[in-house]
Formats: sequence, C-alpha cells, structure tokens
Amino acid sequence: MKKFMPPIILAVLCFLPLVGLSSYAMHILVLVIMWSIIGMGWNLLGGYCGQVSFGHAAFFGMGAYSSGLLYYHFGISGWWGLLVSIPVLTITSLVIGFICLRLRGAYFALATLALGEVLRVTAENLVKFTQGDLGILIKQRTWVEKTWYFYVILLLAAGSFLLVKKVMESKLGYYFVAIREDQDAANSLGINTTLYKTIALCLSGVLTGMAGAFYMNYMGYIDPTTVFPLYDISIVTVMVVMVGGVATYWGPVIGALIMVFLAEVIRSMPKIGAAHQTLFGILLIFIIIFLPNGIVGDFRKITGLFKPRGALK
Amino acid sequence: MKKMSVIFAVSFLAAFFAGSLFAQEVKFAIPLPLTGTNAKFGEIEKRSYEIAMEEINAKGGVKGKKIVLVFEDSQGKPEVARSIAEKLIDVKKQPVIFGEYSSSCSKAIAAVAEERKTPYLVVTGATDDITQQNYKYVFRLNPTNAYYASGLISFFKEVVKPMSIAILYESSDFGTSGAEDMVKQAEKFPMKVLTKEQYEKGAVDFKPILSKVKSEKPDVIYMVSYVMDASLLMRQIKELRIDAKLYAGGAAGFAIPEFIQSAKEAAEYVVTATLWSPQVVYPGAKEFAEKYKKLYQDYPSYHGAEAYSALYIIKDVLTRAKSWTPDGIRVAMKGTNMVTAFGPIRFEDKAGYTNQNFMDTLVLQVINGQFETIWPQKYATKKYVYPIPRWRDRK
Amino acid sequence: MAAQVELFLQTLISGFLLGGLYALIGLGMALIMGVMRIINLAHGDLMMVAMYVAYWLFTLFHIDPYLSVFVATPLLFFLGVGLQKFLINPVMKVESILPHNQVILTVGIGMILANLATVFFTSNYRSTPVSYASKAWYLTDFWKNAPIELSLSAPWSLSFLAAVIITVALWFFLTKTDTGKSIRATAQDIDAALLMGVNVGVMRAVTFGIGAALVGGAGCLFIPIYYLYPSLGKQFTNVGFVITVLGGMGSTEGAIIGGVILGIFESMTATYLGMGWAPVGRFLIFVAALVFLPGGVASILRKQRLGK
Repeated sequence: MKKFMPPIILAVLCFLPLVGLSSYAMHILVLVIMWSIIGMGWNLLGGYCGQVSFGHAAFFGMGAYSSGLLYYHFGISGWWGLLVSIPVLTITSLVIGFICLRLRGAYFALATLALGEVLRVTAENLVKFTQGDLGILIKQRTWVEKTWYFYVILLLAAGSFLLVKKVMESKLGYYFVAIREDQDAANSLGINTTLYKTIALCLSGVLTGMAGAFYMNYMGYIDPTTVFPLYDISIVTVMVVMVGGVATYWGPVIGALIMVFLAEVIRSMPKIGAAHQTLFGILLIFIIIFLPNGIVGDFRKITGLFKPRGALK
Repeated sequence: MKKMSVIFAVSFLAAFFAGSLFAQEVKFAIPLPLTGTNAKFGEIEKRSYEIAMEEINAKGGVKGKKIVLVFEDSQGKPEVARSIAEKLIDVKKQPVIFGEYSSSCSKAIAAVAEERKTPYLVVTGATDDITQQNYKYVFRLNPTNAYYASGLISFFKEVVKPMSIAILYESSDFGTSGAEDMVKQAEKFPMKVLTKEQYEKGAVDFKPILSKVKSEKPDVIYMVSYVMDASLLMRQIKELRIDAKLYAGGAAGFAIPEFIQSAKEAAEYVVTATLWSPQVVYPGAKEFAEKYKKLYQDYPSYHGAEAYSALYIIKDVLTRAKSWTPDGIRVAMKGTNMVTAFGPIRFEDKAGYTNQNFMDTLVLQVINGQFETIWPQKYATKKYVYPIPRWRDRK
Repeated sequence: MAAQVELFLQTLISGFLLGGLYALIGLGMALIMGVMRIINLAHGDLMMVAMYVAYWLFTLFHIDPYLSVFVATPLLFFLGVGLQKFLINPVMKVESILPHNQVILTVGIGMILANLATVFFTSNYRSTPVSYASKAWYLTDFWKNAPIELSLSAPWSLSFLAAVIITVALWFFLTKTDTGKSIRATAQDIDAALLMGVNVGVMRAVTFGIGAALVGGAGCLFIPIYYLYPSLGKQFTNVGFVITVLGGMGSTEGAIIGGVILGIFESMTATYLGMGWAPVGRFLIFVAALVFLPGGVASILRKQRLGK
C-alpha cells in the first residue's frame, strides 16, 4: 500500500485543476507545492545529511534572480531561468560549501545565515545589475489561469520527490545518514565526508533555486527583500521541514501544508485581526513540544492517542 | 425539551442569517499590513477608512446600502497580498479592490487585478512603474514618487537656490526611487550631488556617514526615510552640528507626528515634502483631521487622508457606475472627477502613465514644534523660516 | 588634511560607542549559546519587551530609562527563567533526530512576543524624549582653537558607560561567585560539570534568565538613543549572532571585544565604503571569523593565557 501512495497522490493532484477549483484555492495550492520543494531540498541537506542551514534564502533568491536577470537583461522568457538556475546554483552551492562546510553544528547554521544576508545586501547595492530595491517586474506573465503554473510546479515537485527518494535509497543516502549520525566515525570509515556533504549541498541548492526561478515567473515581481529574507524564507524553510518531519519523505509536504495553508486559514479567521500570529505561534510551540520530530516523524504518537489504551503495550 | 431547544436554535440561526442576507449592505475587504514593520501605516489607514465608512453610512451609505469594511492582514508580504487579491476576486466576487500600503504589495495586487480584469485603486504605493505598465484596470490616487518632491523643488528654486546637495536614502523601493528622482532634478537645476548614500532601514548609528557629509559641506541635505530613521538622522545631525542651509525630508518618516515627538528640538526648521497636510483648503480635510485627532490624539499623516479619500472615491464611483460589475466600475472610475479631502482626483493618461492622478505637492516646515504648510505660498499657513539659524546659535 | 583626521576620529568614536552597546546584546547570546548550545532567535524580541517596560515607566511615571534598567533586568530574568523551564527544557530533553528543533520554539516565542506587543500597544513608533536626548560635548568647548571639531553625544556616552558597568558586574558574577563558576563550567564541558556535581538543569535556567536580563538591560540603554516598535527585535538578534561568533560562544571577554570590533568595523565601512555596504561588512567579518577563527576572540585569549 505504502508503495503506491506517491503515484496515487500525484494522480489525484493531476486531476485537481479539472474539478474547477477557484483561482484563490489554486494559488494557495501552488504555494504549498512550491514550499514542499524548498522543504525537500532543505531536508536532503539538513534532515538526512545533518547539516542544518539557516540560509536557504540564498539559494531561493539566486534562483529567482537568475530567472529575473535573464528576462531583464536579455529580454528572454523567465522560464529559461529554470534551466539556467541549475548551473548557477551548482556554482553558488560550491562556493558556499567551500566556505561553510568545514564548520559544524551551530557554526555551520550561523555561517549559512550570514551568507544569505550577504547576498541580500549585495543584491540591494548592485543597483546597475539587479535594479536594487526597485526590483524586477515581468510586464506580462505567461498565463492568466493557474492551471499551467500548477502543472509546472507539480512536475518539479514530483521530480524532486523522486530525486530525494532515489538518492536516499542509493549508497549516497547511507553516507548522508552516516555523516549526520557521527561525522568522525564516518570519516574514519573512509567516507569522504566533505565530498558527500558538498553533493548534498549542491542538490539541495539546485532544488531550492528552481523553486525560486518558478517564484519569479509565477509572481512576476521580485526584489531583494522578498526573495532573500532571513525570516520569511530561510527560517520558514527550516520550520516547514521540522514541523512536517525531519528526514521523512512526506514531512516537507505536510510542513508546507501547515506553514502555508493553515497559516492562511488562521490569518483569514474573522474577528482576530492582527492577533493571528500569536495563534499560529502557539500552534507551532505545541507541535514542537509534543511532536519533537515533526508530524510525520512522530506520526505513531498521534495514532497512538486514538488507539485503545491496551493496544499501546 | 431538548428537541424544543434545537428547533429554537435553528430558527434563531435561520432568522439571523436571513436578516444579514437581505439587509442592504455592501461589503469590502481591504488588504493592509497590520503586522510587521509597516504596521504603523496600516493602522493609520485602517482608522481612516473606518472614519470614512462611518461618515458615509451616517449619510445613507451608497445608493441606500450600508458599507461594511473588513481588513485583511497582508503582513507586508507580496505573496500574501496576492492571496488576498485572489480571494477577493474569486471567492468574494468583490467587483473592485482598493488598499495596500507598500509598493511591492501594490505591484503584486496590480498584476492580478489586471489579469483578472478587476479594477484596483492604488492608495499609497508610490513607485512609478505601477502605473507605467499600461494596465487598464489599475488606478492610482496618490502622485508617484517622481512627483513627491515637486513642491520641494520649487521651494529650492525660488527661495533656497542651493549649489550642492547630499542625498541619504533608505534601501527600499521608496527610498531608491525618491533618491534617483532627486538626482535627475539636481542635474536640471543645476545643483551638484556631493554624496548619494543608501542605508539599511533601522540603522542605529548614522554618525559615520553624517561625518562624511559634514566634511563635504553641502548646501542642502535631502533624506528619504520611511520611518523613524528620520528622527535619528536629525538628532545626530544636531549632535554633530552639521550646518547646512536647509535640511529637507522626502515625505513618509519626516511627515508623521512621531518625527517631532522623537526628534524634539532637532526637528525644528526641517522642511519636508508631503502630499497633504491638515491645513489644506480642500473640503473636508480639516474636519477629517480634527475627527482623527479627537479619536486617536494625533493628526493623521497624508496616508490617512489618502485612505479616507479612497473610500469616498469608491462611493462616488459606485454611485455613478451603471452596473456593479468590474467593467461597469472601471468605466465609472475612469470618469472620476471630484474633489476629496486629499485633493482633486482625476485619472489621466499622460507622461507615460496610465490612470494616474496628478496633483501639487506641498512643503511642510517644523516651526515651534508644529508642522506648518509653507509652500506653495497659496496654501501657506505660516511664512517659511529661511535662512535657518546655525546649531551653535540655537538655545 | 584636518578634515580627514576629523572624519577618521569621529568615525572611530562612534564605532567604539556603538560597539560597547552591541557587546551587551552579544553577551547574553554568547552565554546562552555557550551553555545551552541553542540558537535563540527570540533574543531581539526579549530586548523589545524590555524596551516597552522602559517606555511605559517613562511615559506613565516619568522614570528615566537608565533607571528602569533596575526594573527591566529582574523582570526579564524571570521571564527568561520561565521560558527556559516551561518551554525550552521540555523540548531539549526529548530525543529527536536534529537538536535544532528548538529553533522553531524560539521563533514561535519571538513571533508571539512581537505580535502581542502589536495587539496591546499598537504598532506606533515610540520613543522616550529625554531632555538630554541630543545633548553633546564638543572639543571646541574645551579647546577654543582646536583645528578639528569632534563631538561626543551625552546619551550615547551614558549608555556606553552603563553597558560597561553591567559587563563588569557580570564578569564579577561569573568569576567570583559559585553560581557563576558553575555556569562557566557548564559552558566549557557539560559532562565534566555534571560529574563535578553542578546542577546543569538549574544552571541552564539561570543562564537563560541572565541572557534575557542582559539583553533587557541593553534595551533600556538603547531606547534613549533609538526608538521602539513591536517588530524591531530581528535586526538586533542578527547583531547578537555576529558578536557571539566573533567573540566565541560562552565567553564574556570575547563578546566585549567582538562587540567593539564589530562597532568599529561597521562604522569604518559606512564612512569609507558607503553605509549601504555596512551590513555586508558585518556579515563578511562574521564569515571570516567563522572560517579563520572558529572559537572567536576567546580562543586567542585562551592561547595567550596558556602561553604564559
């Protein structure tokens, strides 16, 4: 049964636009899927390989800008950005990896956080190249209807899911987990930790960057503060995976559902006005206290609650 | 017994819903940043919309229908602003959208509105390109950034006659485009631009950059700040005793009451561009300002007047519209020709803009701890103070 | 020439003063990170809470913000202990794949604090217009014919002085008292501390309390020279990170030196490269410290001490 879950869900999602969802629902859906891709990317590096990054906005923003700058400087469709972002992000990841991967634990997290911020401020200051804070605006978005955007992002998500799954089922996956569990032990077993960490970082960066390139084409407008922010992207990415479930295939998807869909539901609840963030904050705290491995990671705990007492032992 | 109460509850609920269904009301949701860095401005606008709503309803509403406003928090994030716009168009079937504060959120909504052929009235987003895209369904009631300083420029030309200028601006689309525009104006003048420096919003210490400005001795220091950076800048200018002929602000942070409250005597004689002040002669302006002050202790900034007038424009448009459909409203909005508390409103296509309202902007000066309108002279409430005393000669 | 010297000296002065204040923010974070190994993303929001305390004391009772340090720091201490005891500790105790899930907790706490401030106090910009807000001393006041003019802001110097006093007090606490010694032991080696009979659980709560109190004190010192609104915390959290890494986790001397280095470096970038680049400078020095000096200034200090 479990084996068939991904194709079934994919098939259901494929037919979803045909049932005539409102464009509002489609927008939320597109955002949820986009965030799951970012989450899957982060999960590969953070969840499986144990290198917790606080700077995924760097990758997201580089992807968005590689798409936006192609449009702005060469006048070609921003969709080429999806392809171009792959080499761009590989190089970015190699550079970031060269600087940060020798660091461990909290130091690695802080270094990536700083690099994300460096990229944001650089984009703000290179006015001639990036338009700085004026941002890049696509005059005419490709489609008015959401259907095609939905299929594009769904395709990307399915690809990412498959990629993560294949990687984790290969030898590479074992190396990643070994590095997460004990880097020194992995090293002494002859695993080239730097190499495998770099691979994880590159894969992670490329996935996130492609989501960023999609964002540019979908939203039609970017500026440094919308695609490189520390809290709205980097930290939200970490939360998507941690709330959903670290090192699980479905964790990022569930996390994205909560961070986008549930946040939107809570935000549009009537009569609470600005207080919606308090409510959401409390929800997050509850999740992490009772389900420290995220919803998918601690799924047994949830089902256990509903089972009769005797069945537990 | 239990059955009885259920029946009672059901009939009560039915009556309640029927009542609200058939009541003559028209509901609008307005996207605004109610949390985050721009929340202050979201709040000013929210209050102003509410004042306008009560006034309109007290006078019988729109075509006998009561206006009901709800506010949606966009958190200042473009994708959330877009979510709200999609929801309003698609789920709520709202035939016209208005509101939002920052330029980036306004852009996100404008793109959706144009694609979905629903009129959108931009209320405060100031970057030029919003109305330069040939959007048919996007209207803007506030002048664009390029025109913000027009009043200030004429004050420079006729009174100050500066030879050089230093420009400091915050790194945001508002700050950047304001500074770029001043550079263009300075070339025409001609006036030498000595420095043009950008700073991160919320910076603590401006003294390094101000020391540099001091060593260059500019005639005018022009600063574009969204928020309270304005008061820090003036406090530190006073501390360093930088004696320029004039300190000029580019609206926003320099034109809110908190600027004077926080900078105190350092704010004295500072001039700022503004789109509106409580002293303007347009009908209803003074009444609105007083009403706002009575409710919330402070005079509203121009953002409040924009929001207040926006609802009056919507009311006017709805009254004239042949049908309350997006296209009916768009046609009616294009034909708008009215005078609001904010000023005369007409949506014109000229100078590369589409559906853009053009108007004179004003210059305020802080005199005796109060904002006074000093330019153009026909609106002046007090004569400008120029030349201003040097710092060491002040008490 | 004189103008260039003046520019340089004035930049140095403001960088130094800024650095002292930054150090106080960094101190709390360095302690928390050193002892608990957690990244506290609510640090700046705690500072915001203290600033509101100072603001209301000033507005309602006309208490000078510098005096409200004595109210705000104990309040923040208890807030910190409470947060640690009831929220952070339970999460740290459970086994999870990544220990970083506490980050969500601190983000959530920060989110709630900032949002509650918006709900209760509105998002108005607040400030405490003290009478000496823009008072300053000038070189020409003391030396009539000075070739250059330098100025020293009164509230900035006061804040700096207060920061130094608080830091010295903290240093005494950490080196001279038993509790302080236990905290330092926990920071250096948790297992050894446990073996030596240190109650690590209590030390963690106390540390988080002290960290919160320190940043609370920083808030009171910042409000006379800055302003206040609910979501201001984030930028100061970032400053805290940079200093912690520059100085070294769990090191007080390191945090102070790190703060001053950061202040001067930022001011110098602002003067000579442009203020827009100052944040780039901040984070580049941060990355450089991470790569070339992991362990921060503290590691150099330690080496010197061992050398003797």
